[in-house]
Amino acid sequence: MQPTSSMKEEFLQKWQMGLQIYRPLIDNTSVSERRKAIKLSADVAMASLRRGTTCWSRALIQKTATEDNFLVRQMLSGIKAETLINKKLPKVMCHRKIVRRSKKILRRRKSRSAIEEVAAKARKLVKKKTQGLRNVVPGGEFMSNDVLLIQETLDYIVSLQTQVNVMRSIVDAAEAGSERTAYYLGKPKFAIEDG
Amino acid sequence: MMMMMMNGGEATEAELFLNCDDMSVLERQRVQLNYHQYHHPGFEPTLPCFFPNSSKMNVGEVDSFLPSAGLDLPEIYGELHGDARISVSPGNITTESGNSKKRKFGCVDTETKVFNEKKKMMMMDREVVVEEEEEEEEEEKSKVTEQCTRSIMKMKNKAKKEQNSCSNDSSKVTKDSQRTDYIHVRARRGQATDSHSIAERARREKISERMKFLQDLVPGCEKITGKAGMLDEIINYVQSLQRQVEFLSMKLATVSPRLDFNVDEIFSKEVVSAPMMNLPNTVMPPHMMVNSGYPHDMVNSGYVHFNPMQQVVTSSDPLSCFNNGQSATMWDSDVQNLYKTPYPDDMEMVFIYSVFIKGHHTYFEIDESCGGVNGTELYPDVKYMTVSEFLDTLL
Repeated sequence: MQPTSSMKEEFLQKWQMGLQIYRPLIDNTSVSERRKAIKLSADVAMASLRRGTTCWSRALIQKTATEDNFLVRQMLSGIKAETLINKKLPKVMCHRKIVRRSKKILRRRKSRSAIEEVAAKARKLVKKKTQGLRNVVPGGEFMSNDVLLIQETLDYIVSLQTQVNVMRSIVDAAEAGSERTAYYLGKPKFAIEDG
Repeated sequence: MMMMMMNGGEATEAELFLNCDDMSVLERQRVQLNYHQYHHPGFEPTLPCFFPNSSKMNVGEVDSFLPSAGLDLPEIYGELHGDARISVSPGNITTESGNSKKRKFGCVDTETKVFNEKKKMMMMDREVVVEEEEEEEEEEKSKVTEQCTRSIMKMKNKAKKEQNSCSNDSSKVTKDSQRTDYIHVRARRGQATDSHSIAERARREKISERMKFLQDLVPGCEKITGKAGMLDEIINYVQSLQRQVEFLSMKLATVSPRLDFNVDEIFSKEVVSAPMMNLPNTVMPPHMMVNSGYPHDMVNSGYVHFNPMQQVVTSSDPLSCFNNGQSATMWDSDVQNLYKTPYPDDMEMVFIYSVFIKGHHTYFEIDESCGGVNGTELYPDVKYMTVSEFLDTLL
């Protein structure tokens, strides 16, 4: 599944809406402030595309709500905003630690053999990588099983691709615009003189 | 011995089915053998362990039949208990030395009786149907049988050939048992059929299916096969995408100080087929281009097109219409390059096109509002002659 143009359209609209909220506040602010504004509104726009159906989108909205509650409330209209922001994050993390410790104890009693060790190492490696993936994907720590994790990753990657594509086109357009201004102001108008 | 049975030429369906089933039993034996090998290295497996009764497999009630194989058979299979419906031809399994010769293949007279019973079992069986699936079995077996002897491999190869002929028949029989209310889960040949391992296997299949989707999504990981490698690539890709977002937002913050990317979005979805069709939509009226230079606001209020090919083409002046044409002709070639060079490389070509083909510099109306001045008014003393008058003088 690739990012569709309708997705990009929707993302752009939502992002613009978010930037509108910032616009009156933005004059004479530093570059980092502007960057933060851009990024936060882009993130909320990306997450709101999914309308609360995926775990990562909810987690992302909650994360940005901690940084800028006002923006999130404005961007997400209706009841959805309240429920999403006030939702408490599940406390699965604690349980996982306990489970892991007990598994370690159990493992010590098992007998070893060559093949099993190799398999066990492979499994450990895979587990490490999945933990790494959980750290990267927003809300990953709260996804209990691997199937859900991979599904969320799929969706997250597609949304990220949409976001990157739209942002890149905007940047290029803005850059081309500023370049063209410089070009036409600087160079002689030879085309007109020849005619 | 069983091979002898096959060669005997009795090609009834029943026979084939029987033998086929024995094949699967053989496979299971082999797995069991390996299992025992791994878990009890010094252990010399005796043949009672080798009799996982096929119908016992079918029911799937026993949690792990491996350790208790052949020993805890439920009452219902009393008849089949002692039947050596499996052939363990002496030469094939080298681990069992002396016992093999005693266990010959079951006598012919018990054969049919056994088969009838067995068929009853199959009908009664509702929960698990053992099916032979070759390819995935191969993968699993290849891992398990790293240390297995050559002879076992030979047996497996022979089993494969029989299986191909049997698979059709077995499926016919199993279809009857499928028409029930229970959820039928197909366990693979030679694998444990208890509910836990089946659930786990289903979960693993789901994971691998989704990993395949991810493989399509993440660029450049078609060759990576293992889970760990794939996860690595996925992590890297997600991180790179996130970093790109950061970088682009920073760039955007520096480029536009007022956060107003004046985007007049025209999502031209119709403009895919004919590349040149882009041009009429995007050309601004030529009179904008005259004399006094290019108006500044024209530059900022660019038309930003999102066409389905994920290209952005800005057309704020007639020059860029050539850009459009150029980009459209570059369709098949690298589209991404266009992002990086939104400005046409060949400016000469741009001007030539604009001047001679589109005629932007000549085909426009000159009037007072354009900001231009009529030369005759500026210098009234000079005698002006029109071109046609001049040409008349030459005649």
